This record gives sequence, structure tokens and C-alpha cells, in this order.
Amino acid sequence: MSPEDRRREQDPPIVPPEPGTIADLFAAALPDLAITPNQGALDVILIVGRDDVPRLLEAAKTDPKLAFDFLRNLSGVDYEAEGIDVVYHLHSYTHGHDVTVKARLPVDDLHIKTASALWRGADWHEREARDMFGVIFDGHPNLVPLLLPDDMDDHFPLRKDNPLAPLEEWQGTALGANVSEAGYIPPGSGFEVEKVEATPEAAEATPDAVEATPEAAEVTPEAKE
Amino acid sequence: MAESQEPETALNQEFETIDLNINIGPQHPATHGVFRMVLTVDGEVVVDVTPHIGYMHRGAEKLSESLDYRQAIGFQDRTDYLGGFNCELCYVQAVEKLAGLEPPQRAEYIRVILAEFNRITSHFMFLGAFGTDLGVFGTAFTYAFREREYIQDLFEEVSGDRLMYAYFRPGGVAWDVPANFKERVRWLTKQARLGADDMDKLLTDNEIFIVRTRGVGVLSVEDAIDYGVTGPILRATGMDYDLRKQEPYSIYDRFDFDIPVGTNGDSYDRYLVRLEEVRQSLRIIEQAIEQMPDEGPILPERLPRALRPAAGEVYMRCENPRGEYGIYLVSRGGTRPYRLRIRGASFCNLSALRQMTIGHYIADAVTILGSTDIVLCEVDR
Repeated sequence: MSPEDRRREQDPPIVPPEPGTIADLFAAALPDLAITPNQGALDVILIVGRDDVPRLLEAAKTDPKLAFDFLRNLSGVDYEAEGIDVVYHLHSYTHGHDVTVKARLPVDDLHIKTASALWRGADWHEREARDMFGVIFDGHPNLVPLLLPDDMDDHFPLRKDNPLAPLEEWQGTALGANVSEAGYIPPGSGFEVEKVEATPEAAEATPDAVEATPEAAEVTPEAKE
Repeated sequence: MAESQEPETALNQEFETIDLNINIGPQHPATHGVFRMVLTVDGEVVVDVTPHIGYMHRGAEKLSESLDYRQAIGFQDRTDYLGGFNCELCYVQAVEKLAGLEPPQRAEYIRVILAEFNRITSHFMFLGAFGTDLGVFGTAFTYAFREREYIQDLFEEVSGDRLMYAYFRPGGVAWDVPANFKERVRWLTKQARLGADDMDKLLTDNEIFIVRTRGVGVLSVEDAIDYGVTGPILRATGMDYDLRKQEPYSIYDRFDFDIPVGTNGDSYDRYLVRLEEVRQSLRIIEQAIEQMPDEGPILPERLPRALRPAAGEVYMRCENPRGEYGIYLVSRGGTRPYRLRIRGASFCNLSALRQMTIGHYIADAVTILGSTDIVLCEVDR
């Protein structure tokens, strides 16, 4: 991520959808819920609080006017300090309509109720989101690593704090002093390369190192005996 | 101890039986890739299945976040490598939706023709490999691969590569097709139709094939929907759902074609649906090649050097050979995707494997896995 990109980055503005979309059906089914509807490029996005998600999803599945029987996709999006979004893409075979549901979890409390009781397909999606982002789905029957090794439960590869070192380096972005010829070295890993400044003492030390080589060659015949 | 009780002998003793775990994979010809499943069996009958995936996890989603929008195309071929053009089509359309790009007509037709041909090669791969799973190694496989080769040659002529095409671009295609493209496509449709007939004659009425597939791995409509199963497996249950028809993307609304559906939701119906889909794809190609303009641009006239789609998000879905392939793309205005989530059709279809396999014999577990037609690179991404 180049500094120029960082500066340009912004969240998309919230565009209220036109009347008559799926957002109205949700507002009618759940009048007391605070839903922020947003028109996405294809679907209407409903942004809700984390605690309201179970109610909203249950209504989406069971309400005959909504009848979202197909969970297309479930994923996470990392917004670093602002939290992690959990995104549900739903489709209804009965009515042929779609909706996206989004909820943001704070970084220090990544818990949300599972959706696997409503759609069995959510099972693997949630396990993957746990693998990649560390989101804990409360009530999930078997929340163990799916794609990652069984013992890898404290490192979440898709979070933004895992840089892709060699690629970023090739693309000319600065990772600071942590990039050596060997590649990216994470700070605090104990493998940091100490920069040796060219001092007269260091220059004098070099001939000694060269002289050491014949001695090493002499050692070899003795070792053979 | 009561006196009436008989002394324990080997004859009247109650034997305790325990379930046995059988490990299949990760390196096994029946698993179609690097996939491991642990079957818990009671005698010959499978009572539980534990799939283990993730051997091929390469972090394609994370890698895409560090490359710009055009560079990330390459990862799309590598998710579902049997339907590379279909995956690329989904991805470039997602970018186009955010960037507001409109591809020229000629490019749209080229894309659809190649994507449909890719569906045919993918289904031929299934037809050949499925025969192999059922023990007819050789015959079906070689016939299917002969047909694949003809089409692969076209892909190589057009894109320069046989599997990892990276030919589609946001806004069109990378370069124009060869001058003899139309004649080649017309000849190929005739050839592929003959090939589909060959497979039909080889397998459809084959007694052994029917006995090994009919009634095996039945999935009901309700279960299929609940698990998020899509594509030919869903249609084999009798559900008439194809994104090309129900939510037409690109230019699929211009063609006249049918959606084949099954009745029983078993492995045999999945085979029949895929075989018929080959013929329907040929119908689409035949119409597309007649409608395709002979000349014209293949990319929009004004195309920025660095794509910077507006901040926003889109979930683009396409009907891939294996089912619904989804790209969830989040842009925050930079030159790279902020988040790229790949919804693999195989991933969701495989999650229903347990439901399909329990209660069948061990030999049928191989049939059922074969009939789901998974690509492990798409499962693990």
C-alpha cells in the first residue's frame, strides 16, 4: 500500500436506496430495529449493529415476505482500528431478491452469534472467517480451523496487519529498515539485521578475515588423520 | 450370579463391534486433488465423513489485495483452473461495476464464447474423470480428452496459454482474436457436438454406469438450498435455477437456451445435467458467433493507465461450470482491491458432502465425491 493510496483511501458514502427496494420490506418487518440502508453497486446493503444481527437474520429467513433461503456468501473485511465487518450476502429463491447485511465488530470483542442454525451452509463460511480474521461465532457447533492447520489459532492471515512483504517490496513501497536482502523481517522477531557502519576499525578487520582462510585450509589435513 | 445363566461360550457371547476410521487422501486418485476425507465405517456402510481441506490454501484473496486490479486477474485462473475464463469473467465484471466501464460489443461476444467453451471443456473433464472414478478407466477419459484438446488449442491460439489465460481485462479483452476465429469456432461447435454424442453413447445407457450412479448420493432440494449448493448439483435436484437465466449478466439475455434439470438429485442426474449443459452451451456459442460483429474495438477508447474504481463494494456472481462463483470486491478508492473475497462454488458444494455420503457404501463415497466435480484449488483458494 503506497502512501499515495493511503491518503486517497476513504469509505464509500452512504447512498439511501430508492423507495420500493428490499430495504422497505425489512423496515416493515422489523420497525423497531435501527437499520441503515445503503445502495450498493448491485444489491441493497443493510448496516446494522452487531447485537441486532441475529434478529435481522432470523426475520430474513423466516418472514414469508422476505424468505431468504440461500446464504450466498459470508465473509469478513478488516478495517484495522475501526473493527472488522462481517458481511452476509443473502438470496431468496422464492422471491428472487437479494440483500447484503453488514455489521461491524470492535477489535477487542470479535464476537457475533452464529448463523449456522439458520443456514447449514454458514458452517464452513464461519469457520473460514474465524481462520482468516479471528471472528468468534458464538454458538457454532464446531468452530475449529478449516483451511488453516489445527494448531494455528492465534494468527489471522487476512488481517491488514500481515503485510505481503516481497510483493510490496517489488512494487517499490517502503517497509522501512525491516527489509533486508533476505526479505521482510518482522520487527521483534529477533532476526533483525544490524546495520554495520563503515568505520576505519571495520575496514582493518577485513584483512584478518582473509588471513584466516589459509589457517582453515591447514586444519583440513589434520582432520583427515 | 444367577444360576440359570448359561456359561459364557464363544457362541452366545455378544461381540462388541467398533466403528473403523478409513483415511482417504490427501494424495489419492479418487480425491481429484489434494483433499483428505476420513470415513467412519460400520462394516461397509459409511456412518460419518470428516472432510479435511486447506492443503491448497495459497491466500489468493490476500495476494490480490497487494496487486493492482489488472494484476489480480491472474489469480482468478488459478482458483477454478478448469473454468478459468468463467472466473475471469466474474472478476472483470465486478471491477467494471465499480469502475463504471462498459465493454464494447465485440469484446462481450468474445468473452461469452470463450466462457461457454470453457464450460464445455470443464464438463468434458468431469465426464472423463467420472468414468474413471467408476472403473472404466481409459475409454471415457480418452474420448473426453480428445474433445478437450481441440478446444484447448483454440484457447491457446487466442490467449497464448492453455489453462492460465489471463486474457480478459476490465473493459474488454487483452488483444483481438485471430483472423480465423469464426471459422475455428464453427468447426469446433460441430466437433464438440459429436464429442458429446460419443460420451452419451458411451455412458448414458451403460448398465454398470447406471447401477453405480442411480440413487447414489441423493440430495434433496431443501438440503441443497440449505447448504448453499449451486450449479449442476442444485439443478439435478429439480431446481430450475441458473444465473445466466435468472440474473442475466454480460449479454446472456440475448440467447435462447434451456436449463436442464434433473428429478432425483442423485449422481446419475448430475451426470445427465452436465451432459445436456454441454449441448446448451454449444447453442449459445452458435448464436453468439452469428451475432458477433466482425470488426470493432475490444477495449473502451479511454482507459486509465491505473484503474481507480470509486469507493464502494459489489458482490458479483456468475454461473460457473461448478455453480455460483462470487467475487465480493471492496474498493476504497485505491489502485488495489481493499478486500477481494472469492466465493468458490466447489467450497459450498463440498460442505454438503457429508449429507450426501452418509448411509452409502465406501465404494459409493468415491462416486459421490466424483459427482460433485470439485476443484480443490477453488475450495482452498
